[in-house]
Amino acid sequence: MNLATAAPTVLEKIAFFVLAAGVLGGALVTITRKSAVGALIALIATFCASAGLYATLSAHFLAVLQVLVYAGAIMVLFIFAVMIVSHDEEHPIALRGLFVRTAGVLAIGYLFYRTAWLVVRERTSDVLAATAPPPIPDFGNVAAIGRLLFSDFLFPFEAISLLLLAAVVGGVVLARPPQTRNDGGAV
Amino acid sequence: MLSQLRFIPLLPLLGAAYLILFGRRHSKRVIHTVATVAVFASCVISLDAFFFGLPQVVREGGIIDAVFPWFAGGDLAVDFTLRMDALSGLLCLVVTFIGTLIHVYSVGYMAHEKDYARFFAYLNLFCGAMLMLVLGDTLPVVFIGWEGVGLASYLLIGFWYQENANASAGKKAFITNRIGDFGFLIGMFLLFRATGTVNIPDILDAAKTGSALTAPLWLGQSVAFWAGLFLFVGAAGKSAQIPLYVWLPDAMAGPTPVSALIHAATMVTAGVYLVARMSAVYMLAPAALAIVAIVGALTAVFAAIIGFAQNDFKKVLAYSTVSQLGFMFVGVGTANFAAGIFHLFTHAFFKAGLFLCAGSVMHAMGGSGDITRMGGLAKRLPWTTRVFQVCWLAISGVPLFSGFFSKDAILDGAFATEVYGHGLAWVGPLVGGLLLLAALGTAFYMSRLYFLVFTGPCRADEHVQQHIHESPASMVFPLVVLAVGAVLAGLAAIPPAIRELFGKHGESTLATWLAPAVGEPMEIAHSAEWRVMGISTVVALVGIGLAYAFYGGGYRQPAHAFVQKMPGFVALARDKFRIDELYAKVLLRPFRLFCNIVFQLVDRILIDKILIGGWTFLADILGRVFRFFQSGDIQRYLAAFAIGAAVVVWIAARPTLPDDVRVKVEGRTVKVDMVDPDASRGALRYSFDFDGDGTPDRSGPTPSATWIYGGVDHHEVTITIEDSRWHTRRILTRTFDLR
Amino acid sequence: MPGHFYILVSLALFFIGTTGVLMRRNALFVLMSVELQLAAGSLALVAFSRGLGDQRGHVVAFFVMALAAAEAAIGLAIVVSIYRVNRKIDLATIDELRN
Repeated sequence: MNLATAAPTVLEKIAFFVLAAGVLGGALVTITRKSAVGALIALIATFCASAGLYATLSAHFLAVLQVLVYAGAIMVLFIFAVMIVSHDEEHPIALRGLFVRTAGVLAIGYLFYRTAWLVVRERTSDVLAATAPPPIPDFGNVAAIGRLLFSDFLFPFEAISLLLLAAVVGGVVLARPPQTRNDGGAV
Repeated sequence: MLSQLRFIPLLPLLGAAYLILFGRRHSKRVIHTVATVAVFASCVISLDAFFFGLPQVVREGGIIDAVFPWFAGGDLAVDFTLRMDALSGLLCLVVTFIGTLIHVYSVGYMAHEKDYARFFAYLNLFCGAMLMLVLGDTLPVVFIGWEGVGLASYLLIGFWYQENANASAGKKAFITNRIGDFGFLIGMFLLFRATGTVNIPDILDAAKTGSALTAPLWLGQSVAFWAGLFLFVGAAGKSAQIPLYVWLPDAMAGPTPVSALIHAATMVTAGVYLVARMSAVYMLAPAALAIVAIVGALTAVFAAIIGFAQNDFKKVLAYSTVSQLGFMFVGVGTANFAAGIFHLFTHAFFKAGLFLCAGSVMHAMGGSGDITRMGGLAKRLPWTTRVFQVCWLAISGVPLFSGFFSKDAILDGAFATEVYGHGLAWVGPLVGGLLLLAALGTAFYMSRLYFLVFTGPCRADEHVQQHIHESPASMVFPLVVLAVGAVLAGLAAIPPAIRELFGKHGESTLATWLAPAVGEPMEIAHSAEWRVMGISTVVALVGIGLAYAFYGGGYRQPAHAFVQKMPGFVALARDKFRIDELYAKVLLRPFRLFCNIVFQLVDRILIDKILIGGWTFLADILGRVFRFFQSGDIQRYLAAFAIGAAVVVWIAARPTLPDDVRVKVEGRTVKVDMVDPDASRGALRYSFDFDGDGTPDRSGPTPSATWIYGGVDHHEVTITIEDSRWHTRRILTRTFDLR
Repeated sequence: MPGHFYILVSLALFFIGTTGVLMRRNALFVLMSVELQLAAGSLALVAFSRGLGDQRGHVVAFFVMALAAAEAAIGLAIVVSIYRVNRKIDLATIDELRN
């Protein structure tokens, strides 16, 4: 297949960096907030920026879905949860086992470094050098994805729907307020 | 079919098994019928085989029943074979006949016993085991019987185990026997090692013909000597000789029929039987025979002295048995095997008779055996008294009774034997003299017993006296049979001197009969025989006379005077010379101490603390260590996860070593270059081996090297690249031709 | 833009998400950080999908999204249950799995 490897335009570059800054910045804000609601807002912003990134990657369907599902549904779920659970937090980082966890973060950092090093080294390879999607007419389209979904990926599709059913039922059961029995015992 | 030898021991064993398992649900009548019929059937089969089957084949080795090939391994092949030859046939008859009589006697004696089935089962077990011992044709089979009778003895001595003393007596018997058994085993092993077989006929053949058994073994003595000695240790344990006799007096704690059967007539004779059976082996080692004879003689005298001072009816008889067994061992020890067996034969009758009389008397006295409280029982127990008189005279060696003939046979052999050779020639007369002393003692203490129990006024309490009564017919009948036997048994071996008078020449019937099994009988001058007969008669009469003076009609003045003059000696004799106490101090105490030490050291410390406690300690420590990491904190778990992943990646991302080599050849000069060495890696060390001798010619951090070859040829360079940081190494080889 | 930029963004996003998972005390924040991690994964999938010209990356990203939704639902339900029992969702004080 032919991949276009033309140099990106200035507009594309600006769009990318802005959106990337949004994603990463939003993520940073999310994990550093003291208040949960603030974090949620930042998370929503992150997802929106992420949707923008998808758009620049010509994954239009996914971009829309990102906003609808993630920023829309999942975050609303989170907001509901935050409303139910009021929190009191003196400081956001637990002291217990701080050493191990910091070591864990550093370990992840090392993995990040390693992978990044590899990516940068291979940046001229075919996969990573493309700057534009291939000239497939439907690339990133709903129709194209729908076609794949219902042909090659039919089984996972059905499985996922089953999974969602299970999640719904589980969520309802788990989150039910405790019901008292006639004899006074909790269910 | 039933005439096969295997049924002789098998029937009583089956009887025992049945009674053990199912005895309790039957009535007493069924129980004793089953047991007695089993032994009686064995008796019938034995008689049938002995009189109608054996004589034809006795010269070829007797009747053989190869029951089954048992096991084999390496050089050892053990078959389960039974053989009735001249010797074992005779013993078979003794065991089954007297066994049957004892069974009948027990019907009356144990009539009030609760554990009736158990008793008869054990009696049958004993008979079966004894028969297996006697009929066994291979040493392991004999050993099974040997152990079996030991077991039965233990079970029967401790029959009334509820009393601690009885159980202890049983244990003592078994343990002392076990010590002897160890000797038996060593003897068996030595014989196997020398001859390669445990088959008795083969061993005896090897003794008679080959030189396997005369080879020197230890301390200059031959295999035969050591085997004989160790087998005698076993015999000493089973037949209560010094130093292993201590269990027999205590064994009187068992029911009297048991004492009669096992500890008078049969089991204790197993040792004598063993020596006689292995006569061919013993004949190769006169020194061993000397030891046997000396031990036997010493035991005979020693036990007789103890017997003087005992006040319990059965204890007197017990020491008497020990003493008479000593006589038998002198017989076989002087290579006069037929005489030893003859005495075994007669002794079985009169000693069993004496014991059953004891049972009868104790039955009448309400269970007590204290002779100081008896006396004058002759009037109240007529049958018992008559039987006792017969047996008493027999054991004292009064002429014409069986004991006279058998004792004289032994004495003849002791004085006339030539088996020892010059060095040990003194042994014969020595043991002969000792036996005369013992015979005097025998006559004395047995007469003492008779006079104190049956003559004179009765010294018992009033109400005990009222209950004195003769025993029932089931007990009297066997008594009478035994008394008859005690008289007639002597006919089996009338000495040649007397046979001469009736016009019959040659050796006694029994000696001739036993010759195929134990060798030709000893030739003794008739004059010597008459001499011994005279001396022994005098000895017997002196003994009886002395006893009459001391005890005729009760305790008399000489008895009291003696006790006053030598109180220490009397006390010592009564206390059986404190041998048991000596053993306790010298053997048992150190042993208990040792056991205690082992217990503390091994059990408490080694096993409990170290081997077990060690593991628990380890589990505890490990548990603590692992629990330390189980914090319950998921974030920590995830962090550990991440750290692990990072470590794995770190190791996996080791740099690979270069493998591209460029070789440039110019005439005789060769230049080797590594392609694309990555400078960013850690230091790599390159070694180049150009001449193929295994040692590198150029090495260092530079990835290239040059070499000039001496000859025009096909060469090979080996390049080794090592990364010291990651401990990886790569070896490359390149070949090239020089033009 | 060349693909490696997107991959780097994805890596950084994952790193930030993991830091949040390991460091934050509030269970809700941990769940949010998990969402960040999943988003990072999806981003990488889509970037490679563009580079390879293969739509299947999109489909898988789609599934990831569905999974994230399901997992968020259950996770939040659990958090709510815990809150009902413990009256707080402070991970520093919850150690039922201890020892």
